Amino acid sequence: MFSLAMRSIRLRPGRFVATLLSAFLGATIIMTFNSMHDTAGGAGVDTVSSDTLTTSASVVGGYGTLLVFFAVASTLTVNVRQRHEEITLLRNTGATPAQIRRMVVGEASVVGLVASVLAVGPAMLAGRALLSVFRDSGQVAERVDYAFGPVALMSGLSIMLLACAGAAFLAVRRATRAVATGEREPRTRLRGFFAYGALVAGAGAVSATFAMDATEPALMAAPAYGAILLSVGFALLSPRLLSGVLGVLERPLGALAGASGYLTVHNMRQRAAQLAGVLMPLVLFTGMATATLYMQAIENDAIKASGVAKSVDDKNLETLNLVVVGIIVVFACVMLINSLYAATSYRSREFGQQRLAGATPAQVLGMVGVEGLVLTLTGVFFGTLSGLAGIVAFSSVRVDEALPLGSGSGPGQGQGLGIWLGVVSIAAAATLVTSLGTARRGLRTPAVEAVALAA
Amino acid sequence: MFRRTGTSRKGTAGPGRSTSSEALRLVSVTKTYGSSDENAVTALDRVSLGLRAGTFTAVMGPSGSGKSTLLQCAAGLDRPDRGVVRVDGEEMTGGTEAALTKFRRQRIGFVFQQYNLLPTLTVEQNTTLPLKLAGRRIDRNRAREILAQVGLGDRLGHRPDELSGGQRQRVAIARALVTEPSVIFADEPTGALDTRSAREVLRLLRETVRVHGRTVVMVTHDPVAASYADSVVFLADGRLAGELHAPTVDAVAERMAHLGDSADADASGYDAPLGV
Ligand SMILES: Nc1ncnc2c1ncn2[C@@H]1O[C@H](COP(=O)(O)OP(=O)(O)O)[C@@H](O)[C@H]1O
Ligand SMILES: [Mg+2]
Repeated sequence: MFSLAMRSIRLRPGRFVATLLSAFLGATIIMTFNSMHDTAGGAGVDTVSSDTLTTSASVVGGYGTLLVFFAVASTLTVNVRQRHEEITLLRNTGATPAQIRRMVVGEASVVGLVASVLAVGPAMLAGRALLSVFRDSGQVAERVDYAFGPVALMSGLSIMLLACAGAAFLAVRRATRAVATGEREPRTRLRGFFAYGALVAGAGAVSATFAMDATEPALMAAPAYGAILLSVGFALLSPRLLSGVLGVLERPLGALAGASGYLTVHNMRQRAAQLAGVLMPLVLFTGMATATLYMQAIENDAIKASGVAKSVDDKNLETLNLVVVGIIVVFACVMLINSLYAATSYRSREFGQQRLAGATPAQVLGMVGVEGLVLTLTGVFFGTLSGLAGIVAFSSVRVDEALPLGSGSGPGQGQGLGIWLGVVSIAAAATLVTSLGTARRGLRTPAVEAVALAA
Repeated sequence: MFRRTGTSRKGTAGPGRSTSSEALRLVSVTKTYGSSDENAVTALDRVSLGLRAGTFTAVMGPSGSGKSTLLQCAAGLDRPDRGVVRVDGEEMTGGTEAALTKFRRQRIGFVFQQYNLLPTLTVEQNTTLPLKLAGRRIDRNRAREILAQVGLGDRLGHRPDELSGGQRQRVAIARALVTEPSVIFADEPTGALDTRSAREVLRLLRETVRVHGRTVVMVTHDPVAASYADSVVFLADGRLAGELHAPTVDAVAERMAHLGDSADADASGYDAPLGV
């Protein structure tokens, strides 16, 4: 089975690009931050510098690992789904589910290994850059030397292997079960349990903010984690949320967008579970980016208003926040684009069938566009909701104002909608450009050929 | 065998439709695949053909003789390199796919071997989809009536994956009928079906001609299927290779056997003229 795995990677490298890319990015981030542990462990590093280094390594390392797992799981789920046909064929020729599992897990492990090795160089460069940022801002003493050692290497390798193999195992187990029983995913109940758990924990974290003091250094942590947990909860619930939204939009879409709207509603209803893979990164991205960026902006204004200079801790926090947002943006975009690209290119057969039934290319694109809009609206709505919960809690405690959107009266000049609009435009652009671009490419194939291609 | 059905045609034909007695006319249609000289395949070589309205024609020929290409060019699913296609007297001109699609919506129905129903829509929704896409009024009773005629009156809410192959193909026929096209093309409509379902589909296609007055053109490699038609047109190496009226199973089978011979002879370099 392992040789089969190797052959399938060699023959179809394109399929593994998305997984490799997210694993590579993930390994780079994990190793970059874990090399701070190696650096902190160097001879003659003072305690302040060492604290800064280990804190950043632990916090971002933690976030990073979670996101890496999410991203790799998402790309592998898509990968396994795309190969449904191949997996069915293997089963029909006598492969047991365990053999197929070993094949897919083997492939994913190889991809994880390759990604980690490729990431060593970039991680060293990024680690150096990060250290010099810390040095420039005075958070770390000038004479601390960069080190890339066993902690970085081992954590990178082990986390990536674990994430890739684990995610592949989950994805293929779901797929082989679905083939065996011909049923839909039986894990919806477990997923619901996690979703409500995340929502409750998120609400708890957000509420905990109110018990804290306005000047507490870790004040931002509780609402930020709260917002992230709420986003994760909504993301896990996205198939259900999507059905709800479609129920509301069914009539207006049918009336406004004609045949395209009609097809959109039907398709999305049937494919709610698959589209959840697209909705998830949208909610995560909007929620996490909105929450972190607004909280940082409120914090900056609050410090400015108080008239004191930023402390080392303040600067640490800001650097970390911006890094976290950067990581989230990149990962969410990779996840979003990958799952959307796969979902759309997988459908060129369906588009072909619509064209054969009398749909013009414009009608097909219209349908894809309306779908993209509905997805963006839903994702942005629930992402904003979770982000807002964290922002309101943070802002109430920090500057005694629930929503510092401000007409210029509050402390600072208020935050305005600028950040949110920026986040939403990125989300909308990524969604619409990917889906319309992919669909357009699919439409270049004549309809008769498109339906003849094995899906 | 040639029953004229012009009078039994339901009075729904649009202006300029029933006035033309010729439903389909191909003039010197040529189609070549592949660009470079070495791998260029002439799938259709100056094919000219005329079919009267209200007839059922089978197209037969060895595999690779250009049957599917002929159907797709005639149905506006593919563009011929040269030649003219006229449906109901209207010349098919379409630079863009959208233009061809609009032309097809008015005049053409297509039934595929692999059904090509939309998996997310129910039987009834699949049937009315072409009307919806064309922005035409949907007569639900009419759609249900057609579905009842093809024997699916009790399956309106089912999805394609809940139906047998034969039932799916009957949905596809209902979908082709609902826009009241002048010509219905069917490419190996019984190719994926068992004998019994195949017979039902063939009977339905024949009824489409007899009762609804449509013109049906069907590609098949099965002499039994071809015997349901009023006439058979033979194709070999992208060229017309004869015609057979009021075909019987035996006559078709025999002609096919000879076509195979001549195709082989062609392939080995002899340019055997076809005695048609
Ligand atoms: N899209 C295509 N690209 C290249 N060659 C094609 C294509 N479609 C058909 N052909 C070639 O054209 C010839 C006729 O094909 P087709 O019309 O499908 O034959 P039939 O339906 O009679 O089996 C064959 O030689 C086939 O290989
Ligand atoms: Mg064919």
